[in-house]
Amino acid sequence: MLVQNILNGISLGSVYALIAVGFALIFNVLKFSNFSQGGVMTVTAYAGYVASRYLSDRLDSLVLFAAVLAAAAVSGAVIAAAVERLAFRRLRRTKSEPVYYFISSITMGILLENLITIYASSNFYSYPRFFATSAVPLFGVNVAVTDMMMFALSIAALLALLFILHRTKIGLGIRAACFDVNTVQLMGMNPDFLVTTALMISGALGGVSGVFLGMNYTLYPQLGQMVVKGFVASVLGGLGSIHGAVIGAVLLGILEIFFISWVGAGWAPVFVFIVMLAFLLVRPRGIAGIIVQEKA
Amino acid sequence: MKNGTRKWLFCAVLVALLAGFVGAASAKEILIGNMQDISGPTSVWGNAVTRGAEIAVEKINAAGGVDGAMLKLITMDTKANVQEAIKGYNSLVSSGVVAVVGPPVSNIGLALGPIANKAGVPVVGSFIDPRVTVGEDGKPQAAMFLMQPSSVQYSEIMASYTIDVLGLKKIGVLYDQSNAFAVSLMKPYVEYIKAAGGEIVSEQVYTKGDKDFKTQLTKIKEAGADCLYFPNYIQEAVLVTNQRKQIGFDVPIIGGLDFAPPFASLVNDPEAANNIYLANNFSEKEPQLKEVWDVYKAKYGENPVNKVFLGYDKILLIQEAMKLAGGTSSEHVMKGMPVVANLEGTTGVLTISPDTHQPVGLSMVMYKIEKGEYVELGRYVPEKHRAPWSK
Repeated sequence: MLVQNILNGISLGSVYALIAVGFALIFNVLKFSNFSQGGVMTVTAYAGYVASRYLSDRLDSLVLFAAVLAAAAVSGAVIAAAVERLAFRRLRRTKSEPVYYFISSITMGILLENLITIYASSNFYSYPRFFATSAVPLFGVNVAVTDMMMFALSIAALLALLFILHRTKIGLGIRAACFDVNTVQLMGMNPDFLVTTALMISGALGGVSGVFLGMNYTLYPQLGQMVVKGFVASVLGGLGSIHGAVIGAVLLGILEIFFISWVGAGWAPVFVFIVMLAFLLVRPRGIAGIIVQEKA
Repeated sequence: MKNGTRKWLFCAVLVALLAGFVGAASAKEILIGNMQDISGPTSVWGNAVTRGAEIAVEKINAAGGVDGAMLKLITMDTKANVQEAIKGYNSLVSSGVVAVVGPPVSNIGLALGPIANKAGVPVVGSFIDPRVTVGEDGKPQAAMFLMQPSSVQYSEIMASYTIDVLGLKKIGVLYDQSNAFAVSLMKPYVEYIKAAGGEIVSEQVYTKGDKDFKTQLTKIKEAGADCLYFPNYIQEAVLVTNQRKQIGFDVPIIGGLDFAPPFASLVNDPEAANNIYLANNFSEKEPQLKEVWDVYKAKYGENPVNKVFLGYDKILLIQEAMKLAGGTSSEHVMKGMPVVANLEGTTGVLTISPDTHQPVGLSMVMYKIEKGEYVELGRYVPEKHRAPWSK
């Protein structure tokens, strides 16, 4: 039971981690909580589903799975770039009040969710089965293959992001833009390009998360509302910290599972938030200990 | 005659003629309201009920209507929203409908009860919460009628099948504690099982929006349950079915109506969609379905789901009530509905109890899902549900 709960917690945390990493990246760069990520995840999950339906007769299951992930990641990057152009760029140009970023991101999230409701209805859909085996034995208990892949992908996403941010020129530019956009511009870099790139990376991650969420929890227009859990994980891990987001997400997943086991699903959220509040009272900077001033 | 007087006279004759035409037209029509979710989250059900009701209306009209008058269905979209439903009902009453085909949504039925009782226009629905048709005082709600087993009847059918037929006595229960539909299906099941000597070894809950049930399933597994009773909506049913397999919990699931087609096809894994029992309103093999089945398939190019037949039978019930009461007004429908007996519907033989405004002795068809395929096990009704006047 204990081992099963820990593994269940890690698997749930992996879902949150994939969301939280994209969330933390944007917070790191733009200093605001980008809730449009939920809408992006929903749309990309549907894009992946459409790709799976279209390609299912043409490709083998594992190749199909890779193609679906790629389709969702690309569509996520494109949609995130569109969101940046529509919702955030003008706000940056006019140096708008921070609260407008927040409102704009929430509005975009709702807009994307409603577009899906209109075009795909509020019915739910199921992804096709990609793997011959749905669960494998580990430490004497069964673990879902998708859960293991999600965990591996969360770690991979974290490593890839750290590599991009610390070992590439674009990453250097993004990190520089975190400190001062005006200076970055004076040094010959294009801040629009840097911000759009950051959002596209976040959108691609959202696409991958969307596919996994759709595979695990079926596809429905409100799928992206899980972004709230990603946000909570991000706060727990330390706003703006990417590795903190992963740690926070896994901790949140484990906490939720143990509280469901101990006090039931009805009370579990209450206890989780009490623990979170207590933790943030003691350590307001979160696990990673980074404080970034939030725009909104 | 002066010019002005002639004009007035012409206008008066014209108005009188028009009124006559309108009167003549409405005299040949009986308006029946239809309140369904056409565009909201349960629109799959709402559209299916509407299509079934339309097929019934077309058939009755093709056979000459009721007392020589044609039936006309007026559909209102509830959007699965209580406020929209109340507005829709009031609008239908203003339009002069004599009865309303109600939605398969209990919370709308609960809200409509007092309003319909006051307006005197009956609602024939498939809202399975028994409180919709029976008030707190134990008396029937005058204008509310149910045409499929209530949640109590349904749960008892499933409980009786679990313990009396399958012989399973250690039960684990998982349900959405924030959903009236799920709670209303859970309580009578648990009571029946306990009264019959069974044991609820673990009762687990979740709340709206939860998607990961592995922890609750693990607890039920650890408690040594012989089977899992899961009376919830189809999306959660798909998730629980998959997660049951993921944690290696291979016991039968005793499910609700939401496990009926297209559930198995939505699981996308025949190994997971296995060892599941459910009760449906009908069997696809039953001959009384053929006519509606063929008409539906020819019209819409797909197989009908069970809500189509519920919509069809609701219209048959309203027609039968008019026949029994000898008139076509709303008062006649109100008077005729509680005395409907042995009406051959597509979903079974319908007899409405005057004491509860619910059907009595209505059996359900049991199914087992084996590796993604529905295997029919025959009709089943517990002994305690049989009424002396029913077949």
